[in-house]
Amino acid sequence: MTRTHLRKAGSVLLLLLAWQLLVQTGRLSELFLPAPLSVLARMWEMTRSGELPWAVLVSLNRVLQGFVYGALAGIVLGLLAGAVKWIEDVLDPWVAAVYPIPKSALFPLFLLWFGLGDQSKIATIAVGVLFLVLVNTVTGVKSINPTLLKAAVDLGASRLQIFTKVILPGALPNIFTGLRLGAGMALILVFITEIEATKAGLGFLLWEAFQLLDTKQVFVGVVTFGMLGVASTWLLQWLERLGCPWVQRSN
Amino acid sequence: MILEVRGVGKVWTIERTGEHHVALESVSLDVAPGEFLIFLGPSGCGKSTLLQIIAGLEAPSAGEIRFPAAAAGGGNGKLTSMVFQDYALFPWRTVIANVAFGPEVRHMPRGARLAQAQRLIELVNLKGFEHRYPHELSGGMRQRVALARALANDPQILLFDEPLAALDSQTRRVLQDELLRIWAETGKTFIYVTHSLQEAVLLGSRIVLMTASPGRVKRVLDVPLPRPRHLTGRAEADILDRLDADLSDEVKRALAS
Repeated sequence: MTRTHLRKAGSVLLLLLAWQLLVQTGRLSELFLPAPLSVLARMWEMTRSGELPWAVLVSLNRVLQGFVYGALAGIVLGLLAGAVKWIEDVLDPWVAAVYPIPKSALFPLFLLWFGLGDQSKIATIAVGVLFLVLVNTVTGVKSINPTLLKAAVDLGASRLQIFTKVILPGALPNIFTGLRLGAGMALILVFITEIEATKAGLGFLLWEAFQLLDTKQVFVGVVTFGMLGVASTWLLQWLERLGCPWVQRSN
Repeated sequence: MILEVRGVGKVWTIERTGEHHVALESVSLDVAPGEFLIFLGPSGCGKSTLLQIIAGLEAPSAGEIRFPAAAAGGGNGKLTSMVFQDYALFPWRTVIANVAFGPEVRHMPRGARLAQAQRLIELVNLKGFEHRYPHELSGGMRQRVALARALANDPQILLFDEPLAALDSQTRRVLQDELLRIWAETGKTFIYVTHSLQEAVLLGSRIVLMTASPGRVKRVLDVPLPRPRHLTGRAEADILDRLDADLSDEVKRALAS
């Protein structure tokens, strides 16, 4: 344990302890800020009853489907746009037009087109992920040192081989950046799309609790979302280490 | 002749202004098998462009490149391989995977190409570094990997584009000696671009002095001296003197234009 570790652990423990004491001595109302231990107790209760795991599964299903479709489309389109000029020209105005739109603003449209079920939510998440991955993939392809392409040609690589053996690995670090940003976006969007027009999912659980002024359950939802965010970051970092072992990382 | 350069010219169009820039003008030259040929000239004299045209990476605006030996059926497909100034190693490939890239894209079986890569890695004195990534190597080691990678396609001609320019002088000396050893061991034709007069005299069996833009052949000089050469030797100093004035003129012209 270094000094840094101690400071970090101390910061968390002290704040939680002060919070717990303030609530227990009645200086803070449980309605606004329930004590950490009672949130934990509620979390355990909801886990045992199966309510929380089910909500997580429902949301994860939407997030994962949207993420995978969006990421795959983003990677393929990004590699093509980065490598082939005319494809970039064809895609560019659409990316420029749709990229700045908050993807949550598209949700009503998707509700109209795909109905109240999972599809409208998955589509919103997929579009949000797609543009982040697409833009980062294009950046990755463009950042490849042109001499590497020359070297590949000089060594006898065909166009397809240049695509699979130079452009794809060359863009991979940026693709992972896009995936990490996309994962964050997917969690934001799953919450927003679960506020309305659904009866299941972590977002629904959180929003319903708010409407009933059940602050403990709101906290359970917030903390679970946080845990999902941390887990997705870890998973993607692990995949990145596996996929890009050559990339130098600080720390 | 292994290579014939016939009236090669290159004109670049500067996109922003629409102006034309003549990089090379009617360069003609014959290269004999096994030569260590040096293109010597100031920066921007088009010598790198000429190398890229010989490699087939750039199309000439005029003239042509011929490989008479290949036309007679003497080649194995790949005639030239390039060693770039900034190494151009694939950062995501380890040393051995970089060296095996050419054979890999030419569909040589995995076992054969790895065995061959291993031999070449030993030839360039990098045994023990097979599984390092390029960023884990020094500049001198990277350039050795680039050389091994270029040799892996078994080209008849190796093209060097100022390969040692980015290295410190001590490393450069060591690699110059290694280049000469590998040139002698493999018997391949080396075509080497440099702006260093000293390097040209240390390495070349023939030196082609280029003019500043547009690049033309100013003078061709045979260097029939035995190796190893020393810059302090009398015969070497004599050749240095003979080229020095000419090269200085061209450097001045390059700076003035």
